[in-house]
Amino acid sequence: MNLRFLPCFLLVLLLATSCSQSPVFKENETVFKVGDQPEWAAKNWNDEDWKKGKPTVYDGRVFWFRTKIDILKAPESLHPYGLQLHVYGEYEVFWDGVLVGINGNPGQEAILGPVGKMWATFSIPTHLTKKGEHLLAIRSSLYYFPNHTGIDELEINYYDELLTDRLIESSYMHLFAGAFLIASFYFLFLFLSNKKEYATLIFSVCCFLFFVLILTEFMKAYVPIHYSLHVVRLRIIGILMLGISFLIPFYFSTQFPFPKRKLLLTIYVGVLLFFFLSKYVFELTANNMALSMWLFSFGIVVFGVYKKMKGARLVLLTLLLSVPIGFVTPFNKSLFAGFSLILLGMFYLLSLRIKEQRLAFENTLVQSTRLRLELLKKNIQPHFLMNTLTSLIDWVEESPKKGVLFIEALAREFDLFNQIEDQRLIPIAQEIALCRTHLEIMEYRKEINYSWEEEGIDLGQKIPPAIIHTLLENGITHSLPLEDNSIKFKLIFESNGHERCYTFLTFAAGVRHATSKEEGTGLKYIKARLTESYHSKWDFTSERTNHGWKNTIKIYS
Amino acid sequence: MNILIVEDESRIAKRIERMTRDILGDTLQSLKHIDNLPEALKYIENSALDLVLLDLNLNGDNGYDLLTTAVSESFHTIVISAYKDQAIAAFEYGVLDFVPKPFNRDRLEQALNRVIAKEKTATNKIKLLAVKKRHRIQLIPIEDLIYIKGAGAYTELYLADGKKELHDKSLEKLEQLLSPTFERIHKSYLVKMSEVTEIVVKSGTKYMAELKNGEFIPIGRTKYKDIKAKWL
Repeated sequence: MNLRFLPCFLLVLLLATSCSQSPVFKENETVFKVGDQPEWAAKNWNDEDWKKGKPTVYDGRVFWFRTKIDILKAPESLHPYGLQLHVYGEYEVFWDGVLVGINGNPGQEAILGPVGKMWATFSIPTHLTKKGEHLLAIRSSLYYFPNHTGIDELEINYYDELLTDRLIESSYMHLFAGAFLIASFYFLFLFLSNKKEYATLIFSVCCFLFFVLILTEFMKAYVPIHYSLHVVRLRIIGILMLGISFLIPFYFSTQFPFPKRKLLLTIYVGVLLFFFLSKYVFELTANNMALSMWLFSFGIVVFGVYKKMKGARLVLLTLLLSVPIGFVTPFNKSLFAGFSLILLGMFYLLSLRIKEQRLAFENTLVQSTRLRLELLKKNIQPHFLMNTLTSLIDWVEESPKKGVLFIEALAREFDLFNQIEDQRLIPIAQEIALCRTHLEIMEYRKEINYSWEEEGIDLGQKIPPAIIHTLLENGITHSLPLEDNSIKFKLIFESNGHERCYTFLTFAAGVRHATSKEEGTGLKYIKARLTESYHSKWDFTSERTNHGWKNTIKIYS
Repeated sequence: MNILIVEDESRIAKRIERMTRDILGDTLQSLKHIDNLPEALKYIENSALDLVLLDLNLNGDNGYDLLTTAVSESFHTIVISAYKDQAIAAFEYGVLDFVPKPFNRDRLEQALNRVIAKEKTATNKIKLLAVKKRHRIQLIPIEDLIYIKGAGAYTELYLADGKKELHDKSLEKLEQLLSPTFERIHKSYLVKMSEVTEIVVKSGTKYMAELKNGEFIPIGRTKYKDIKAKWL
C-alpha cells in the first residue's frame, strides 16, 4: 500500500470540513451588573452605567450581563434561528426582554445542586429576529468558578442546523476515533504475539490515547456536562496530551536511535511535566506540550534523515505537513489533524519494520533450507562419495571381510546423517558418533591410524549438526600423519556461567593452511549454522599450533 | 616406462599401483607414489617420466596447478578423479585420458593402452597447449597454432602471429593429442589441415603443402598417399 497520498487526502478533508458560511449576526460588547431586577431583561433598559470587562462574583450571587446583537439577515419564515452559548454558570436567557431559555437555577445553585450544561442551544421566536439591533440579556450565577464570567462562545444560526452541525462534526470525529481504536487493538495483538516488539506496543498505546482524546474532546456535543465538571474534562485532556506528547518522540527515538538518548528523553519528560504542572491555562498547556512534542520529534527525525535511516524522510514530511495545518485550522482541529498525520507517519514506519522483519524471516527460511542442503550434500559430493566407493571396491576385491566392515561404517554414517538432516540442534553425543564413524571410514580410505579423544563433554549439551564433523573433515584433509602414521583429534568442552566453549584439536605433522574453495565452504557452513542457532552470540577461531591445528567455538548465553 | 602416481588416498593409490604393475608387466621400469602437491612438483622437475597418473583434488588443494605443469612436460598425463565434471577441462588442457572414480582394471588398462599403443585421441577436445617459460607456464590456444616441427626430443610450435614456441613433448605425443585436426604430413612436421590451401608438386616429385600464410611445408613421400586419400 502506498501511504504517501493518505496524509494529503486527510489534509484536504479536514480543510474542507473547517470551512463555514458567512455569519448572520454581529456581536457587540458585553456589559455586567451585579444584582437582580427583572427589568434588566428589557431591550431598551439604559445600561450605560454597567461595567465592561469580566467581574468576579462570589457566593453564587445573581448578576446580569447584556449584549447588543445585530441580526444581519432575517431568517426564512417558519424556520427559527437558534442561539448557542458556551457560558460558565447557571442562567436564564432573555432575547429582547422575552425569556427564551433556562439552563439551571441561577442564584439557587448552592441549595439545588448543579443543574444544566456548558453548551446549550435555545430557539428564538421568528418574530424577534428581524434584521436590526436586538438585545441578549442573561441572568446568571457562578457558584463554582466565580472568576469565569462572560460569554466564551456565542453562535446564532438556524436552530436545527446548530443542533445537527455539531452532531455531524462529532460523528465524523468518532469515525476517525474508531479507526484509531481498531489500529490500537490490532497493534496490541501484534505485540502480544511477539512481545519483543515494543514499537508496536508504543504505537498501540498512542492510538488508544488518541482515541480517548478524540472522545473526550467531542463528547460535549451529546453528553451534558455541568460547568463545575468541565475542569475534569480539561484535566483528562491534559493528561492524555501529556501521554501522547511523551510517547510519540519516544517512539521515534526507538526507530531513529540517537546518541545520549536516555539523557535527552529525561530532559524532555522534565519539560513536559513543567508545562503540565505549570499555572493552569488549558489551551496554553496543551499547546506547549504539543509544540515541544513536535520540536523534539522533529529533531529526532531530522537526525534520522541525516543518518539516512529508512523511512525518516517520509516521517519528516508528515511532521512538516502538520505545521501548516496547525496555522490554518482552529485549535482543536489542528491538534487532531496534526496528531493523525504524525500517527500516520509512525504507522508507515511500523509497516516498514514489519516488512523488514518479514524479509528477514524469509531469509532465515531460505538460509535454513540452504544449510540443510549443504548438510545433505556432504555425503554425496563426489570427493567423498567416489573416493569412498573406489576404496570400498578395492577392499571388497582384496579383502571382502574388511570390505563388509567398511560398508557397515558407511551405512552408519549415512544413517546418522539421515537422523540429523532436518534439525537445527542435535545432542553432542550424536555429533561425536558422527565424527567417530567418519574416522572409521577415513581409516579404510587413507590407511592412517586416526584416534579420537574427548574431555569434559557434557552429554546434555546440543550443538548445530555436523559442525565438529566439518572441522574433522578439514583436519583429515589438511593433515599429514605423524611418524607413526597416526593423527589424533581431541574435542574439549568447557563451560562457565556465561559461555560454553568447544575446543577441537588436531595432532598431526605438516598441517597446511588451505585456501581452497572446499575449505571456505566448510567454514562458511559452520559460521552460518552458529548464526542460525545463536545469532551473534558466538565466536569461532581457527589457528595453527605446534602440534597441528586448533579450532575454538565459543557460545555466549 | 617410468610412472608417477599422484594420489592422496592411500588405498586408491595402492589400487592404481597394483593394477598398473599388473597391466604393464615388464615394460614398467619404475613406479613412484606421492600423496601431496609440493613433493609431486619437485619430483616431476627432477625425474625423467613417461606418464603421470594424477588426482585433481589433493588434500583440498586444487590439482590444476599441477595439471598445467604436468601437461607442459614431455610426458603424458592421465587424470584419475572423482569429479567427472572436470573431465572436459582436463581434456582441454591436453591430458591423454580422464578416468573417473570409481574405476576398475579394464578402464585403467584402456587408459594405459593409449600410452603404450600411441593411440590417437578419438575426438579432439584439446583447446590449449601449456608451454614452459622461465618461471611460469603459458597457455597457448590451439586455434593460434599453425604447425609443429620436430626438433629432436623437443618440438617447435609455429603460431599464427609468426612467433615460435618450444614444447617439451615429442612430435609423436603431440600428434596423439592433436589428431585429427593436425596431420603428420612429414616425419618432422605436424600441420593443422585447415591451414593447408594446396598441395604442390615440385621438381623431383617433391610434394609441398602450401599454407594460408604462404609458407611451404614438405610432405613425406610415404605420407603423400594417405594424405591424398584422406584430404583430396
